[in-house]
Amino acid sequence: MASPGKIRNRKPFSTTRSDSYDQDDEDHVHAVYQRPTARSAFEQALDTPKASAAVVGVLTALAFALRFYKINHPDQVVFDEVHFGKFASYYILRQYYFDVHPPFAKLLFGLAGWFVGFDGHFTFDNIGDSYTENHVPYVGMRALPAILGSLTIPIVYAIMKETGHSTVIAAFSACIVLFDNAHVAQSRLILLDATLIFFMSLTIYSYIRFRKLRYWEFSVEWWSWLIATGFFMACAWGSKVNGILTVLTIGVAVLIDLWDILDIKKGHTLEHFWKHFLARALGLIVVPFIIYLSFFYVHFAVLTYSGPGDSFMSPAFQETLIGNELLMHSQELHYYDVITMKHRDTKVFLHSHPDRYPLQYDDGRISSQGQQVTGYGYEDANNHWQIIPTKALPEAGRGRVVQHEDTIQLLHMNTQTLLLTHDVASPLMPTNQEFTTWPKDDHSRHNDTLFYLDLIDGNAGDAWKSKSGHFRLIHVPTKVSMWTHTKQLPEWAFKQQEINGNKNAMEKSATWYVDEIVSTDGNNIDLAEINTPNEPKKLGFFRKFGELQLLMLQHNAGLTASHPYASSPINWPFLISGISFWTENDTQKQIYLIGNAVGWAICVIFIAIYVGIIGADVVARRRDIEAIPEHIRNRLWNSAGFFLLIWAVHYLPFFLMSRQLFIHHYLPSHLASALLAGSVLNFILSDTINFPISVAGRRTHMRPSEFADLGAKGPVVVGVFAVIMFAVFVFMAPLTFGTPGLDGDAVNSKRLLSSWTLHFAAKNT
Amino acid sequence: MQSAEDTSTRRRVAKGPGSSGGFMSGSGYDTDTLLQYDDHDHKDGHSKLRPPIGGRVSSGRLHKPYPTPPTSISDFIHQNLEHLPPAIYTLLSCWTRFHKIGLADIVVWDEAHFGKFGSHYLKREFYFDVHPPLGKMLVALAGLLSGYDGNFEFKSGEKYPAAVPYVAMRVMMATFGVALVPLGWYTAVELGLSPWACHLVALMILCDVAWLCISRFILLDSMLLFFTFTTVFFLTKFHNQQYHSFSFDWWLWLALTGISIGCVTSVKWVGLFVTAVVGIYTIEDLWDKLGDLRMSTRNQLRHWSARILCLIILPILVYMASFKLHFLILNHTGPGDAQMSSLFQAHLVGNDFWKNPLEVAYGSKITLKNMGWGGGLLHSHVQTYPSGSNQQQVTCYHYKDDNNHWLVLPRWNEPAYNPNDELRFVKDGDVVRLQHPPTTRNLHSHPIPAPIAKSNYEVSCYGNSTVGDVQDHWVIEIVDDIRQGKKDNVNRIRSLTTRIRLRHDILGCYLSAANKVLPQWGFKQIEVSCVKESDPDDIHTYWNVESHWNDRLPPGDVKHYKSPFLRDFWHLNVAMMTSNNALIPDPDKDDILASHPTDWPWLRLGLRMCGWGDHQPKYYLLGTPLVWWGGALSLIVFVMLLGTYLVRWQRRYVDMDATGWAHFLYVGKVAFYGWFLHYAPFFIMGRVTYLHHYLPTLYFSVLMFGHVIDHCVFSARWKEKTKRVVFGVATFAIVANFWWFRGMAWGIEGPVNEYWGLQWRKVSYFRL
Repeated sequence: MASPGKIRNRKPFSTTRSDSYDQDDEDHVHAVYQRPTARSAFEQALDTPKASAAVVGVLTALAFALRFYKINHPDQVVFDEVHFGKFASYYILRQYYFDVHPPFAKLLFGLAGWFVGFDGHFTFDNIGDSYTENHVPYVGMRALPAILGSLTIPIVYAIMKETGHSTVIAAFSACIVLFDNAHVAQSRLILLDATLIFFMSLTIYSYIRFRKLRYWEFSVEWWSWLIATGFFMACAWGSKVNGILTVLTIGVAVLIDLWDILDIKKGHTLEHFWKHFLARALGLIVVPFIIYLSFFYVHFAVLTYSGPGDSFMSPAFQETLIGNELLMHSQELHYYDVITMKHRDTKVFLHSHPDRYPLQYDDGRISSQGQQVTGYGYEDANNHWQIIPTKALPEAGRGRVVQHEDTIQLLHMNTQTLLLTHDVASPLMPTNQEFTTWPKDDHSRHNDTLFYLDLIDGNAGDAWKSKSGHFRLIHVPTKVSMWTHTKQLPEWAFKQQEINGNKNAMEKSATWYVDEIVSTDGNNIDLAEINTPNEPKKLGFFRKFGELQLLMLQHNAGLTASHPYASSPINWPFLISGISFWTENDTQKQIYLIGNAVGWAICVIFIAIYVGIIGADVVARRRDIEAIPEHIRNRLWNSAGFFLLIWAVHYLPFFLMSRQLFIHHYLPSHLASALLAGSVLNFILSDTINFPISVAGRRTHMRPSEFADLGAKGPVVVGVFAVIMFAVFVFMAPLTFGTPGLDGDAVNSKRLLSSWTLHFAAKNT
Repeated sequence: MQSAEDTSTRRRVAKGPGSSGGFMSGSGYDTDTLLQYDDHDHKDGHSKLRPPIGGRVSSGRLHKPYPTPPTSISDFIHQNLEHLPPAIYTLLSCWTRFHKIGLADIVVWDEAHFGKFGSHYLKREFYFDVHPPLGKMLVALAGLLSGYDGNFEFKSGEKYPAAVPYVAMRVMMATFGVALVPLGWYTAVELGLSPWACHLVALMILCDVAWLCISRFILLDSMLLFFTFTTVFFLTKFHNQQYHSFSFDWWLWLALTGISIGCVTSVKWVGLFVTAVVGIYTIEDLWDKLGDLRMSTRNQLRHWSARILCLIILPILVYMASFKLHFLILNHTGPGDAQMSSLFQAHLVGNDFWKNPLEVAYGSKITLKNMGWGGGLLHSHVQTYPSGSNQQQVTCYHYKDDNNHWLVLPRWNEPAYNPNDELRFVKDGDVVRLQHPPTTRNLHSHPIPAPIAKSNYEVSCYGNSTVGDVQDHWVIEIVDDIRQGKKDNVNRIRSLTTRIRLRHDILGCYLSAANKVLPQWGFKQIEVSCVKESDPDDIHTYWNVESHWNDRLPPGDVKHYKSPFLRDFWHLNVAMMTSNNALIPDPDKDDILASHPTDWPWLRLGLRMCGWGDHQPKYYLLGTPLVWWGGALSLIVFVMLLGTYLVRWQRRYVDMDATGWAHFLYVGKVAFYGWFLHYAPFFIMGRVTYLHHYLPTLYFSVLMFGHVIDHCVFSARWKEKTKRVVFGVATFAIVANFWWFRGMAWGIEGPVNEYWGLQWRKVSYFRL
């Protein structure tokens, strides 16, 4: 591997290693050393493929049993099924909707719904709406996450086996997830998290398989696992935005890996490094991205009809949807048309009435005393404005169509005055200009009535269209744009909205559109085109994707409204509070999302122990004390360290997010902490571990191998633990399955922490 | 691939036995450890980080042997020639700082605050502010020295009367700004930068208009900057004593660093950032010491305790001393009284609590003070909650006001209070109704979630003097009395000293105010709610009667109570923290002064410091663009350089010898950590941010600029001529750029639109 000239210290190092073995006074390390038959009888029995298969079989069967138990209950809409059930029905109806999460998991739900014969005509409006009364085949849809959630268990088991842990340890990690009330509750409802967690665990599994093949670089298996990692990563990312954290985890791990390959001590050439780099770029960037894009491709291909998501999108996008309002009613505007205009964000009409601004405002500033121009929320004849040209028009034809970058005047029909703005401070904002009107026959202020029409994303020569033609109206002499904000004017303007001139002419929120054409100019001869049905337009996939992706990010960051069951990340590992998913008052039934108290406590304690061990080890080695044998430390840093990385990357970024957060955002991290807990338990119970676990290459330096041996205490500890976990699970089960109903005292007894806000609790006296 | 011999000529080499190692020496390597080959396949991050044992690598200023004492004048001059440039720069700095300092004879920008606080010290009236007191006491000192009597109100934009020596006060503040220049120079010297780079650093500090402008007024920023600069300077001094542990100089610089940290935090809490820089330096230093196996345990402990003593205890003592002084000076009542505990207020001169009748009876009018740290007075006003019950708001308020008054009345099912009946004192366990006299509504709670603390019940004011229900009934639970002791000894509620809790009679919840700030609709006052869980030790549910009026009772000759200093100190700090948290940006208000942290490094916009009329001098807080852009650019260059070197290091290309590498890392880390720790927190903080928050941060980017240009040009293998040309161009650009923008700090006279040349970026608010 290495060029011979650079190897110098090989010998001293190998002696150091055997030294550390000798210092170890636990005899059985040596006994197990290279002799799998010297292990305890339990270990040998459990380590056989048959026994392992039996264990994983039992665990999986249990997982299915727990996740499918009474899956038909409640037969009502629960929590976020309101959203995700609804999205499934949009897929079936092929109506366009908008959501902050990528479409993969929702597409699966749509598929599941279609498969079980759901016709999409139930709208999932409120929590508690009945499925049976509306004939919704909801069990089939819930079965999908239940299956994925159940299959997560064998994957967790396999991850632990692959990282060199013995069967009991793998079973331990699997049990933490298997008997967890939060995972179960989340998997048996139409929610995205089970899909996310399933693909996240598959990503971890594939990446570990990939890493283990590092001495077989560029072999077929190596490539397969690399591509598999990329594929599953894309699925996790495509299920929910949080999946991006899985991508981040793998990214960090790959960077560390590449940094190692770059190390000259490995003796690789730079070309070799670039080969590795490009392979990962292909497998972990290009492939996932293509797959991620393909989800959206399918998404757009399925959703071809107009639906509730239309209004989020740009007019160009909307016109690609069949039956869209813009498409149906959008038409070109001509000079002398009388129109109404609406502000895009606040949906008020541009309005004027004969009342005038008061001479002096409350804060002492002076107005022009001109006619008021306001924003008004309702249909009214005072919303009618006529488009007046500032250039000579032909008698008829295309020349009469208003175009992008035309300079126009707007005439208020009822008062026959022209819209005007000037350098007078507006009533509410001293920094912005006042809008008013001016008699049309008085030409003394002609210049101040000129406005420049700026269509959003318009090109020269584009026609101004009603509905779809979003525009800014920029005042020619002072370069302010017509703008409004939600603040109301005082009584003198009937509490209507203020319209003023924003000095930032390119202000995004200064966007308006023509709502309706009230009457058209008689000279129009091409009126016929209005009645021709409009074909949906085409828009490139990448433009659609880019627009949607940007909107998703913006809306995700904008989800800041407070929610009674939102919680801050610091509370999550300690299970401080859960979420009330569903309640039924008559029978006192409820579903409350909360984890298995014992399992979560163990995870937190073991994370703390791990950090403590690592911290102590670092300090000890700083003082040149080798407290932990080399190969065990190696495993603690690399395997358990990887689990800690997964945990941290899936958890810590939430502290930086200001959007509303819920405890179920912690579930991926909880799975990672279950993996870590297994590793730490192994460290506590035994000094042995399966080693080496990587597949040896042709030229790999052979190292003494070793086998994990927990002895009899392993199965006993894990067995006892599993029983306790199961007992706690059963105890909490009424909150997870939503049945049976509980009376006040029973609710109180299940309220293990006072911060759990359960319903139907008996009054404390 | 270069060989080690080849590059050792490139960078400076420590000469002589005295040259010594640095705290980053752990990451440095010498050729022995470098070529050590490790056959391990697995990662082992640690063997790489071992320091070369016994290698003393100088990362700061190169050690020079001490000169012999001068024997003649020319000897003396020759030996001290190095101090000539900083002396010249200091004189120049005096000129820029003091030039036309009195031009604006009006109260400019935040002089309105800090001048006013200075007056409060001179009049010895207690006031409240979010900043710690040291800076404002220095303002007061400046006022005292210049003969100011404290009787000016410092209204924003008002003209200074003849009696206010504002020029003298500004000059004293500007003196702190003058000192920045020599401090910057000597810090650069101590960091081991070449003389060229030292000149550039000093010039950049001298020529930055933002630092210049902010130093010329009665503001805290010049002092904040001064103490930030001293902290860094002392730290670099201390670092160069690295191999003379426990010598006199070592102790001196360590202690001065600690004192400086204390001072900077006592001016503004932003000083905590520079404290963090010192903290990271110290942790890394101690971590290196921990790895030094030849050091005795005793010495290890001495190192640790020296740091704890000088960098933790000493700063805290300085900080507390500034508060002690603050309390000693401000011994009269003033506008900030209500922020403090009732007992504290009672001992202020001019306080009228002694008029309070001693014991509370039915029919008494009282104010209720929350006893949590930083607690306010129970308050209600006609505005209603926008959500929940939509009833009248109840809050905690920190200023005295008639809306804080409450009448103690019997409950609804008892006969109404009659002033002619026999006097009934309120006892433990009594159920009472608290009426808010200005609105005649009653303190009320109901099972509706509170607006912020959603798990608690909302508290509102409901009904009027005749309409009400049982939800208006509150049970009085006495906790204890400060003078009478335990609950068993207390029969009646005494004002000031008796601690009580108010339990809702129906819901069983407790009236609480836990420093949660309401949004704008609640005027950023403190939320009052009713907490369901009864925690007997929760001081946020403790209240005491503060003011008490009852015509039927005699004044209770209340003695001056002692309020322990530590209690007041902590109370005031919590109150400052709460007000600081209330300074969140208001989405409804378009604050043109505020800016976002991303606007700063590239100087997207500045800050108008005064009115913009044509006939007044106008000040615009904006940096010298080249200084700011150069600093920001150098940070990017440094990160890229570091990345390149690390990758090359991983491939065993030798770019620098151990000393050069240690120096590159040491200066780079001080500058980068400093910049990062002064910048990143502003993104996380929810509060509103202004351009002047970047001014301490800028110092570190200037240091980085000096470092990077030193590394790439002045200490690299370029021809002497090239270096001279680069230096000349840089100097000229900085000075010319300063001269171009000088008006921003010296005052722009005449209509601003004539100064079109100052608008280098499309800032919206410079010209109108």
